[in-house]
Amino acid sequence: MIELSELRDAAQKAFPADQLVPDRDKSWELMAEMGWLMMRPPEELGGLGLGRDASTMIHFELGRVLSSAPVLPAMLAIEAIAASDCLADKEDWIERACTGELITTSLGGGSAQLEGGAISAKLPNVPDADLAGHVLVFVPGLVALVPLDAQHVESCELEMWDCSRRLFEVTLDAVTPDETLVIARGDAADALADRLLGELSLALAADCLGGANAAIELTVEFLKMRKQFDRPLAMFQVLKHRCADLKTQVVSAEALLWSRAGNADATTTDLGALKTLAAEVYQFVTEEAIQMHGGIGLTDEHQCHLFMKRAMLNLAMGGMPDEWHEAAGRQALVDIASA
Amino acid sequence: MSEQTDLEALRAEVRSWLAENKPAGWRDLSRTQDDFVKTQRDWFAKLVKAGFAIPHWTAEWPGGGRGLAEQKVIYEELAEADCPRLLLSFASTYHAFATINECGTEAQKKRYLPAILEGETWCQGFSEPNAGSDLASLKCKAELKGDKYVINGQKIWSTMAQYADRCLLLVRTSSDGPKQAGITYLLMDMKAPGVTVSPINQIQGDEEFAEIFLDDVEVGVEERVGEEGAGWAVAQATLSSERGLTLMELSYRMRGAVWRIAELIRKHQRAEDPGILRDFGKLVTQIDSACAIADTFLENRMNGIERLGDASIVKNTYSRALRAYSLLGLRLGGLDEQYRGPITFGDLNTGNWMADFMNSYAWTIAGGSEEVQRNIIAERMLEMPREPKNWTF
Repeated sequence: MIELSELRDAAQKAFPADQLVPDRDKSWELMAEMGWLMMRPPEELGGLGLGRDASTMIHFELGRVLSSAPVLPAMLAIEAIAASDCLADKEDWIERACTGELITTSLGGGSAQLEGGAISAKLPNVPDADLAGHVLVFVPGLVALVPLDAQHVESCELEMWDCSRRLFEVTLDAVTPDETLVIARGDAADALADRLLGELSLALAADCLGGANAAIELTVEFLKMRKQFDRPLAMFQVLKHRCADLKTQVVSAEALLWSRAGNADATTTDLGALKTLAAEVYQFVTEEAIQMHGGIGLTDEHQCHLFMKRAMLNLAMGGMPDEWHEAAGRQALVDIASA
Repeated sequence: MSEQTDLEALRAEVRSWLAENKPAGWRDLSRTQDDFVKTQRDWFAKLVKAGFAIPHWTAEWPGGGRGLAEQKVIYEELAEADCPRLLLSFASTYHAFATINECGTEAQKKRYLPAILEGETWCQGFSEPNAGSDLASLKCKAELKGDKYVINGQKIWSTMAQYADRCLLLVRTSSDGPKQAGITYLLMDMKAPGVTVSPINQIQGDEEFAEIFLDDVEVGVEERVGEEGAGWAVAQATLSSERGLTLMELSYRMRGAVWRIAELIRKHQRAEDPGILRDFGKLVTQIDSACAIADTFLENRMNGIERLGDASIVKNTYSRALRAYSLLGLRLGGLDEQYRGPITFGDLNTGNWMADFMNSYAWTIAGGSEEVQRNIIAERMLEMPREPKNWTF
């Protein structure tokens, strides 16, 4: 059994903290080589059968270095394939996907529907479509793989504020899905979509908290080094208290991250609420990081803004914060009423 | 048997005992402070007899010798069964025990520890009007005359001192050198001549704390804990022994009390109001996070990987969640909560949200204020430099 700490150490060695936004293509190759993509599928399908906490550790560490590699959509697609009971050549698909043949998918937002057996979709949040052969598409009652080079499938790279991820808008204009590429249908498809939304939320939460930790470290180091009024800024209590509050929020959110990652009974709403908490903490940390850096924090040459832009993108991905808060409130009301 | 099986067996044992012995209607029996104290004494005596009152004491004591994992199980079950928290005996079973057991003489152990189990209660005489967050600047003076210390000064914020038999007292025996070096630790009889206790009226109508005035009070030299001038070290060694468990228990009690807010939401027909649902959802996640960090902290302590500052993070997380919880209840409750009626003492749930809200401040102030905890997190965990010490007007 692989220990979480071993995974963390391996990740930190492969992606050292001082190299933010490491080259995407090299990272991607390295991750496939290190076997990260095969960590979740069960052993009988050729995977390592590791738990959700293992992939959470990877997303956490990749968040720390603002990784640009498409490990998140790839892992979601692999999960979907592993769960499929109708995909032909499932083992073959998993093997290819685990060795680096990218299948991407949308990280939330946009619209997709099935009309007369054909999929029409506008997916404005699909990472690394340039590197991928297929996109995993969810519509009510259907989950299917669609080749990105198929007819009536267009992908167009989007210019984002956050440059640590490459996002594409993928559009499908009445594309009839290939029968052999269908992953799930009917209720099974909807259940799978719901489960993967939970996985996406958990992964984004981990990404947020890895990044938030790095942003705090960056800020504290800066405050220790920068001198004004003949003393390091880190000596001023007003700044110390703000850093302490940031640390408190991050450490507490992290405790919830690991608790829900390890809890098989956590609902999709639990994971969405966790993602929202983590993204709001990340947002707060990066806002404060820029403010405490002063003018240098607003310059392109400093790293602060990279974290802030990723935090804001994470906040917008995988469902809106207000919706998750509301869903969590509704869920708690129902739980209490039925207790 | 594996450790896990043992823990589950203990859980079953505590649970079945509680099913028979849980004090029924204790909230109604705690409507005045005196009644509350009586409820506390009865409940403590019952728990001592059952062997669940002092799981953290050493193994020679009946019901003692339990590891942190077992203690956690006991507290979880007490919280789950909604039993009263042991407040009156808290300073006795935690601070007095830790101090006397770790640093006291054999005679002190013999004299004081068994008496705690028989119901003798202790209070803390630490803070002073001018020594709060800066505790080491305390001024209450003790002069050694013959074989007795003669004490003059004032203590404040002593929890339930008006009900205490004895006091853990920090005094100044020297003004030379660093201020920590002149502090001595004494065990004082609250009935000694010259001791006057004056309860403090709090904003929510409680008298949870008291002032202690000391006027030529004599304490024998045999009542000193540690050497003269070693009081600061003794206090530091024994002060935070309980923090993890208390906050774990409190966090779970708060999680278990979330139904009270759900009830308000329904009562005021706000269950379809997205704004209220958001506030509620956000609060539940915040409380879940407080429970998770309290659990993680205890686990790290059990595994010996607690970091400096971790306890402060747990405290600040809990106290902010508690403030948010009682504020949401207060806002939802509207005018109803502004009418002053009977409240339950010594509980998270007093029966009135305005009182709960005012109570919630205790946790951001007492036991090392939120600001002191921030200093600890910044200086010890984030290793940010301390401010220069010398400063004059």
